[in-house]
Amino acid sequence: MLRFVIKRLLLAIPTLWAVLTTVFVLVRVVPGDPTIIILGDQASEASRMELRQRLGLGKSILSQYFDFMGQILHGDLGRSLATNRPIVDDVLAVLPYTIELTIASLIVGTVIGIPLGVLAAERRDGPADWFARIFSLAGVSFPAFVSGILLLMVFSVQLRWFPVISSANAADPLERLRALVLPSVNLGLLMVAYVTRVTRSGMLKALGEDYVRTARSKGLPYRIVVWRHAFRNVLVPIVTVVGLYLGVLIGNAVLTEIVFNRPGIGKLIVTALNQRDYTLLQGLMVVSAFAIVVANILTDLTYGLVDPRVKTQ
Amino acid sequence: MKRHIFATAAILLASFATARAETVLNIGMAAADIGQIDPHRATTTQDKPVVSWIFNGLVRFKPGSASLETLEPDLATSWDKSADGKTWIFHLRSGVKFHGDWGEMTAEDVVYSLKRAADGKTSAFAPDYAVVESIEAVDPVTVKIVLKKPIPALLGLVANYHGGNIVSKKAAEALGADFRTKPVGTGPFQIVEYKSNESLTLISNPNYFRGKPKIDKIVYRFIPADASRDLAFSSGELDIVYGRQDQRWVERFSKEPGTVVEVVKPSELATLYLNEGMKPLDDKRVRQAIAYAIDRPQIAGFKGAATAVPAVSVVPTGYLGTDEKAKLFPNDIAKAKALLTEAGYPNGVAIKVIQTSLPTMLNSMQIVQSQLKKAGIDLQFEVVDHQSFHSQIRKDLSGAVYYSAARFPVADVYLRQFFHSDSIVGKPTAVTNFSHCAVADAEIDAAAIEGDAAKQKELWKTAQAKIIEDVCAVPLFEQLQVWARKTTVDYGYTFEGAIHLGPVITEATTKK
Repeated sequence: MLRFVIKRLLLAIPTLWAVLTTVFVLVRVVPGDPTIIILGDQASEASRMELRQRLGLGKSILSQYFDFMGQILHGDLGRSLATNRPIVDDVLAVLPYTIELTIASLIVGTVIGIPLGVLAAERRDGPADWFARIFSLAGVSFPAFVSGILLLMVFSVQLRWFPVISSANAADPLERLRALVLPSVNLGLLMVAYVTRVTRSGMLKALGEDYVRTARSKGLPYRIVVWRHAFRNVLVPIVTVVGLYLGVLIGNAVLTEIVFNRPGIGKLIVTALNQRDYTLLQGLMVVSAFAIVVANILTDLTYGLVDPRVKTQ
Repeated sequence: MKRHIFATAAILLASFATARAETVLNIGMAAADIGQIDPHRATTTQDKPVVSWIFNGLVRFKPGSASLETLEPDLATSWDKSADGKTWIFHLRSGVKFHGDWGEMTAEDVVYSLKRAADGKTSAFAPDYAVVESIEAVDPVTVKIVLKKPIPALLGLVANYHGGNIVSKKAAEALGADFRTKPVGTGPFQIVEYKSNESLTLISNPNYFRGKPKIDKIVYRFIPADASRDLAFSSGELDIVYGRQDQRWVERFSKEPGTVVEVVKPSELATLYLNEGMKPLDDKRVRQAIAYAIDRPQIAGFKGAATAVPAVSVVPTGYLGTDEKAKLFPNDIAKAKALLTEAGYPNGVAIKVIQTSLPTMLNSMQIVQSQLKKAGIDLQFEVVDHQSFHSQIRKDLSGAVYYSAARFPVADVYLRQFFHSDSIVGKPTAVTNFSHCAVADAEIDAAAIEGDAAKQKELWKTAQAKIIEDVCAVPLFEQLQVWARKTTVDYGYTFEGAIHLGPVITEATTKK
């Protein structure tokens, strides 16, 4: 298994290189000027020129590219153009919040999505199935900022159960958990939609298979037939969706982070983009791309766990 | 034994009863993060209020005011001016301590700070100090400033605004680049924690020379999503919130129980700058046609009477030198069409405009677009994100530029940055002269060195008249600042103006 992980990590290098090169080029193709943020809109063109030189933006694109790649190879993400703080510090400051939000959303997504999908398949065309289908459709179609505002209005402003401004970094673990509930439900609901649909269609197929009919005719209890026989065979597509979603959640957390005012990688990316903070943006892309690579490896490893026929060797 | 237990319990209870709960002021700002709070670099709306809590100047704008006429002593207790108006002596307050362990404020810190403000490498406001010949410390509590020429607004340059803020020399030198997020001043509050993209926490300065503030802690939260910020204020998680410059917002929150909405100066002047370097705007008649096609009261009405008023000149109202009765072009569509025909465009003209996607700016410009259409002038928008907009308009790529700004309240600053030929975009000295205007250089330059206040005002008035007549720009409307607070918060003064674009939290500010 270790060989498998190392092989996958090595294979990720060209992917990371391609992502970094694309990001490097894209952020510079987009018009914009970090000096407007740093110096404000009253500074003269001469002082902007001087700052551009100082920031290394006056160098040729190729030279900037080699500098950047050289830094990355040394494990150095550089310093933010706007704040001059080490990018590693900025990333490490927000990474735990992104990870906890992602994990909590995954839990919400699977804990609600899987039973709902199984129930919908079991009671095909019944009220439960209709409910699950409408619920999942609504989950897919609701933009995260709309559902986020609705959750805040009901649970924070009216019921006062949760804070509007997430105290994501509260020292008290209970307070931190309380601040995590609404954002993870908001992000998790989007995933519930997909997981429900995949589970439902997988289960429908499995429940019609011969081995299920055999199990039933042997007189096994219904729960065991559904969960032990049928469901185990649906796990592979579910893991695929969850694995794909891990990457999507990391990328899509941005709207949830903004609405609930939580620190996180997504929010930092938007700030960096708005400020044309090229170096910070590049650093964040390195981290995001790496996170997705890791998520994919974890997904592949999970295949081996849920289906012994899949070997990681 | 029993007696001992009772005595201990009584002491404990008494100490709990006398221990005052910490007074925390939660303020919500419409921004994702701070820009920089080094006072000599801070130019954005989210940075300026923070600077006003941390720093002092030699003089200060009276809290709650945005007018130069209200300047009062701050770190200087008094000052003398030579007969020719070139030499100024400031007598400093003694015993003022910088935050933390950075020691006592002396004339050396003042000299360092003002020199730092005048240096383009360390300051965004260096051009404002070009008039300064020398700054020196006469003794630890006396500073002498010698000017190249007398200027009427010298006190503005040493006020608690932009370059006039006094920093700790030791701290600025020791912290280097970090000073922009950990600045050290003498003000009522000091920074204790900065969480990127989340909040900035300040605690009261126990050694503040006007007395220890009644507020113990300020948590300044960055909440870029308007809806989330409003909800946090409604739910009581915020005590003070940056309001939206929007009529409906003001009406809605004015009705909310326990809330005070304050609409304050300085206003930002929204202006349409016409690029004389581009066809067909190089023809004055086309520019005049645009001026005639604009209906200022209609634009202000659309933006909302509570927060917007029609513009009066090419400089915002209330600045030293603004001609409040400037003769602007009236709205006359027939005249606009006639002028276009006379200029050889009977079928109208099309003008390329780089426009920001920022909703407040885009919807204002859409009103302008529909007004001009009536006269046959077609503004063709190329909508880009806000950063691209800032970059492209400075590359002289737009026929017309919609720009909204507030500046130091002296006409010279606005006129110089937007209408002096040195500031034309593309030049090394460029600032924000998007129109390539050069008709009033002589008056702007003469006013800057005119010692007689009345003559100086007359020169500024002539400059404004020339700019309006040449139609370098069409002033549209002025947008006021909007803030809301809970009735439990008392600033300790009447909040009518905010030179720092936000409420000044002073030693007298309280929260019930």
